[in-house]
Amino acid sequence: MTPAGGLISLLVGTVLLRLVLTGTYGRYVRPGMGPWLAVAGVAVLVVGLVTLLQALRHANPEDAHDHHRHGGGDRVGWLLLAPIAALLLVAPPTLGSYGVDRGARVDIRAGTGVLDPLVAGAEPIPMTLLEFGQRAFDRDGASFGAAAVRLTGFVAGAEAGGFRLARYQIACCAADAAPVVVRVVGGRRVPARDRWVTVTGEFRPGGSELPELAATNVVEIPAPDDPYE
Amino acid sequence: MSGGRNGYMPGRMVVKGVNEATSVGAASDRRPVDLGVVAVAAVVVAAAVLRPVLERLLDRPAVAHWATVFVAIAVQAMPFLVLGVTISAAVAALVPAGFLPRVLPRRPALAVPVAAAAGAALPGCECGSVPIAGRLVAHGALPGAALAFLLSAPAINPVVLTATAVAFPGRPEVVVARLLASLLAATVVGLVWVRTGRDDLLARARRRRDDGGPPLAVLVATAQRDLLQAGGLLIVGAATAATLQTVVPRSVLDAVAGAGPLAFVAMAGLAVVLAICSEADAFVAASLTQFSLSAKLAFMVVGPMVDVKLVALQAGTFGRGFALRFAPLTLAVAMASSAVIGWWLL
Repeated sequence: MTPAGGLISLLVGTVLLRLVLTGTYGRYVRPGMGPWLAVAGVAVLVVGLVTLLQALRHANPEDAHDHHRHGGGDRVGWLLLAPIAALLLVAPPTLGSYGVDRGARVDIRAGTGVLDPLVAGAEPIPMTLLEFGQRAFDRDGASFGAAAVRLTGFVAGAEAGGFRLARYQIACCAADAAPVVVRVVGGRRVPARDRWVTVTGEFRPGGSELPELAATNVVEIPAPDDPYE
Repeated sequence: MSGGRNGYMPGRMVVKGVNEATSVGAASDRRPVDLGVVAVAAVVVAAAVLRPVLERLLDRPAVAHWATVFVAIAVQAMPFLVLGVTISAAVAALVPAGFLPRVLPRRPALAVPVAAAAGAALPGCECGSVPIAGRLVAHGALPGAALAFLLSAPAINPVVLTATAVAFPGRPEVVVARLLASLLAATVVGLVWVRTGRDDLLARARRRRDDGGPPLAVLVATAQRDLLQAGGLLIVGAATAATLQTVVPRSVLDAVAGAGPLAFVAMAGLAVVLAICSEADAFVAASLTQFSLSAKLAFMVVGPMVDVKLVALQAGTFGRGFALRFAPLTLAVAMASSAVIGWWLL
């Protein structure tokens, strides 16, 4: 399958480079992987191109030998067409609320000591859901003071008096994603599930299982390019 | 690029020459070439036609979740796979056959631990080490040593140990325990393999001969073949892992977490089915707060050595008969090793 194999490699390389150029790779892996994906994409593309050109130039008998020597082992390469087809046509979306209750949550108690107090200013302080959770855990939210904060995440279902706001942490790729969940109370209306929102408000102490944010403002936004924290 | 094929042969071509089939009679009547290319094009066109169906499927949350995890594992693994395949192809193209057995230690008692420790030098995760170990075996390295390298490389390199330290802040003993348990498991499996002497199962990998030709042509041809084979098997593993991640509910996890030895076994099993990259598994282990530190250690020791995508890769590289024996052996040794080290250090 040398020429077809070359074509498959060519497609794999193209898809990788396309993921990097469009920024879509942020849905699947962490942003730092971009350059490595580009390098891998170029390498695979070149190997595929050279193989294809060579095979087309001389359809030589060596190919037939190759085929016999490796038996059916090479045929498995065709499976690469599955993700290629998926990515060329319909890039699967960012992870949504479906996985929030299916995997383990992030442990917000890990690695926190006593956190520096926030300084309340004119603008609400943007922070990750993880930091919000850690501050809520640290001395029951004492470090928040009177500061207003701004959180960005997706809606993971309605709850009594509000909704759950979630965002995934990833270490390498979406397969190891673990969500941080915050309960938002006091928003006027609950946005649709999986809709991305920016919530402004203040920490509310006394939340039982989840850290709580008393919202003053909830704005729907388009899904961000870097959907994971 | 192929100009050197028929005429000039560089000086390194001493041992090769098994399949120096010259390509004089090009463009024969048989043209499998076009058939394969047409088939690839047909698959892509068919997918394009089915696009609305695919899009409607992705509207279902479970399917979207599956597809995202599936693509994520495949995309994440590609750079590491390319690195491993490139190193493997470079060995095929540049290192003369018979060189490795001459320079590597011969006595198993020395060769196996040395190979296991050498794993620390390959920064990357498990997908890259399989083609490299396959090439080492093809070049005549002691199989037990190549396997010890295969097992230890993804677990004890600096990148993975750093990630582990970050995932368990203030707990350096976890990093030490991971290093020791992985080294121990890799060495024991390697020595057991030497002792039982089932190297016949590796016949497939040992039979592999490097192609002849100028180094650059060999490099490209080997990389191309390894990439497709390892890549295809990676897809099998990614699909399996994504399926398990999508269908296994969390309540199952919580139920077993509290159950002592069962939790230990459960974490090892979880490492096998989740198939998470070894650079990320420490973060996942840390997030599974219901489990004890020893159980988390089992997760981090077993994961880089045995998981569904690795077994697929090993079966493709070394043969199915090999994988059927090697995977259970490795799983048992890795669990025992993490139990001992966990009991000692954690």
